[in-house]
Amino acid sequence: MIELKNLTKRFGDIVAVNRLNLSVSEGEIFGFIGPNGAGKTTTLRMMGGVIAPTEGSVIIDGMNMADDPENVKKRIGFIPDRPFLYEKLTGMEFLRFTADLYGIEDGLFYERSEKILRQFSLYHWADKLIESYSHGMKQRLIISAAILHDPKVIVVDEPMVGLDPAGIRMVKDLFRSLAKKGTTIFMSTHTLAVAEDVCDRIGIIHKGSLVATGTIEELRLKAQVQEGDLEEVFLILTEGESVP
Amino acid sequence: MREILTLLKPRFLSFKNRGISGNLKGRKLRSFLFGSIGLAFWGGTFFIFYRVLTYFHGLEEFGDILAYKLLSMALITFFSLLIFSGILTSLSKLYLSRDLSLVHSMPISREKIFLSRWIESTIDSSWMVLIYSLPFFLPYGIVYKAGAFYYAMLGANLLPFCLIASSLSALIVMMAAAFLPAGRVRSVFIFMGLFLFLLLLISFRLMRPERFVHPESFMTVMFYLKNLESSHSPLLPTTWFFDSLRAALSGTMGNAFFNSALSWSCAITMVFAATWVSGAVYFKGLSKAQTVPGRFFSSLRFKRRGYGFFLNILSRPARAFAIKEIKTFFRDQTQWSQVFLVAALIVIYLYNFSVLPLGKGPIKIEYLQNLISFLNMGLAAFVLSAVSARFVFPAVSLEGEAFWIVKSSPVSIRTFLRIKFFIYFLPLLLLSELLIVVTNILLHVTPFMMVLSVVTIFLMVPGIVSMGIGLGAIYPDFQSENPAQSVTSLGGLIYMTLCIGFIASVIVLEAGPVYNIFMTGIRGVGLKGFQWVWLVGSFSVVLALCLMAIMIPMRLGEKRIFRYELGHYEISEKVQKSPNQESV
Repeated sequence: MIELKNLTKRFGDIVAVNRLNLSVSEGEIFGFIGPNGAGKTTTLRMMGGVIAPTEGSVIIDGMNMADDPENVKKRIGFIPDRPFLYEKLTGMEFLRFTADLYGIEDGLFYERSEKILRQFSLYHWADKLIESYSHGMKQRLIISAAILHDPKVIVVDEPMVGLDPAGIRMVKDLFRSLAKKGTTIFMSTHTLAVAEDVCDRIGIIHKGSLVATGTIEELRLKAQVQEGDLEEVFLILTEGESVP
Repeated sequence: MREILTLLKPRFLSFKNRGISGNLKGRKLRSFLFGSIGLAFWGGTFFIFYRVLTYFHGLEEFGDILAYKLLSMALITFFSLLIFSGILTSLSKLYLSRDLSLVHSMPISREKIFLSRWIESTIDSSWMVLIYSLPFFLPYGIVYKAGAFYYAMLGANLLPFCLIASSLSALIVMMAAAFLPAGRVRSVFIFMGLFLFLLLLISFRLMRPERFVHPESFMTVMFYLKNLESSHSPLLPTTWFFDSLRAALSGTMGNAFFNSALSWSCAITMVFAATWVSGAVYFKGLSKAQTVPGRFFSSLRFKRRGYGFFLNILSRPARAFAIKEIKTFFRDQTQWSQVFLVAALIVIYLYNFSVLPLGKGPIKIEYLQNLISFLNMGLAAFVLSAVSARFVFPAVSLEGEAFWIVKSSPVSIRTFLRIKFFIYFLPLLLLSELLIVVTNILLHVTPFMMVLSVVTIFLMVPGIVSMGIGLGAIYPDFQSENPAQSVTSLGGLIYMTLCIGFIASVIVLEAGPVYNIFMTGIRGVGLKGFQWVWLVGSFSVVLALCLMAIMIPMRLGEKRIFRYELGHYEISEKVQKSPNQESV
């Protein structure tokens, strides 16, 4: 479902992402972890079509982002790390705006938006301006908007930032249920416990390069750790640099 | 005092470090251009006041009365401007700045925080008024051949004048913030500021200051002199300033010092009072201002589409952006409240045309009417450019940090820019045509001139709007706290320069053929062969120019914004200077 081929991004002399090759299957939850400045957000932004790669390609559902960005983006739900929204719209209006962009029919929109807003405990805030929302509420609204069009792929950067414990559990359950229905989820996170708990496979990026991929067990083997959690594996594979 | 200086340090350090980040070459160019324009304006103002004062000084009997009346009027105007500017900067510094939570979390007393903010506000609100008041005050010294004492007294009075205005503004803002409903502070001040400005503008225009240079229009000398009399209240800071300067000009030192001392004592008292009040009410008001205001009209839940059928002709993504754009505009009081200002300027613009003394000149009235109408096309287009600079040029930057939504949405950048274009094109076309048609009716122009003006404006408006959207996309500023201010950036300056060049080219190209048509019409003869060639050639070039103005900026803007990498573009530029930069 997701294929990254030689994906590279340079900013001046700095290579933020270096020849990244990766495949994620349909219905899989893939965790992307790495130290600060490793290139996680840059990779996710290239996948979301927010920035263009210097080299290489992002292929989603068999289509190349560079060739047909509008169609590829219709298949993606992109959730950025910081919840910047149109502050002068209400939550409902923002969902309506998203629905129009992704071509969701009116009847379906009302049904889905109500369900999602209730699910994310935003129903009673739907007619309030976004500027009055808390950080966590904005994050929940962005996630609601991202799943509104029932995307095949969800690209999510730090999904748990700003969420309360109930919100974190709800998002974890949501991702699991979406994956069961065939949605592919590609998420970057600093919360290793979440990655360990939710992800089918994990990729570790360090200094722009993918240093390891696999299940927790496979990563343990690679790090030559008999026991211990993902944090220990992470520290060994990233040479102990910059604890996330 | 040490804490106050520490609190002011970030401002000075940011100013000092401005060379480290950003485009140094662009900034130097911008400083040079703005500096040159500012200097030219300063010099022009100085020259005009010098000529006016020299003329007044030469008038026997009431020349000095006129000069002092002018001084008194100017002082009241400067004081009003200082208060107006002070209210806006105090509101911003004391209640709206992004760093307020950080500053208030520090172990520093609220009075000290207030004082540091007030100093910043005083500098920000006064420096420009101070600089541009000099070409007004200096000619008095030159024309009245005043010595160094006058200039010394001028300096000694200007400083307390600014301090009084700034303290008064801070007091007004703090009192209002403490008593106004929570979350409405900002809205109320924006409206108050706008209302004061409009009042000042309209009352100044309705005073018809041009009458004072035509004393013959008054019925009697006594009536004229009565008009010049002003009531100087001894309690006003402008009166102390006026009396001090007048005494300095006539060399009566004692009176000059006395009035200056009155200003200083008032300034010190006001600063003390503002600091004392800040201890009592500043924090209370700040806490209130943090609350997000409730909406006057809440939308109904799950309301079905309520937008006119005309939006339904758009594709769904286009309609989504159009609705977002309209709603955002009408919910942001900093945006829509400016519409009143534009409306007031239009009223004044039209009023000026209605009082033009066309019949009083030696030039034939029909010729003059049509000449003014022709030049009015340029003027109306220039007004449109100024309005566009405020509304259209920042349109792309107004997406702010939510621009990621556009980038990640299944809508092309071309569609996004075209929607922005049409949102602004239609109302601005209506506005420009209204200006042109109404002024032409007021001028009683010929049908030919009416058609020419309407068509020319119809061709120029899309070019001006397209340049605004295109250049706004070439020079976006998504991080700005106030994107509307992006018009003062290098991109804004380039936009205004290009607009002026575009308007001037169209007017110059049309001038020759229009003159030929008009003169042959008056003489009752037809156009000659070469005049037809000239006409067709000129109008073809105008058409080509307008098409280029529509297409090229949009294309360039599209390319630029397509490559724009949100949150990374600036980094990539910095990285070349500092390879250790993190945050990728």
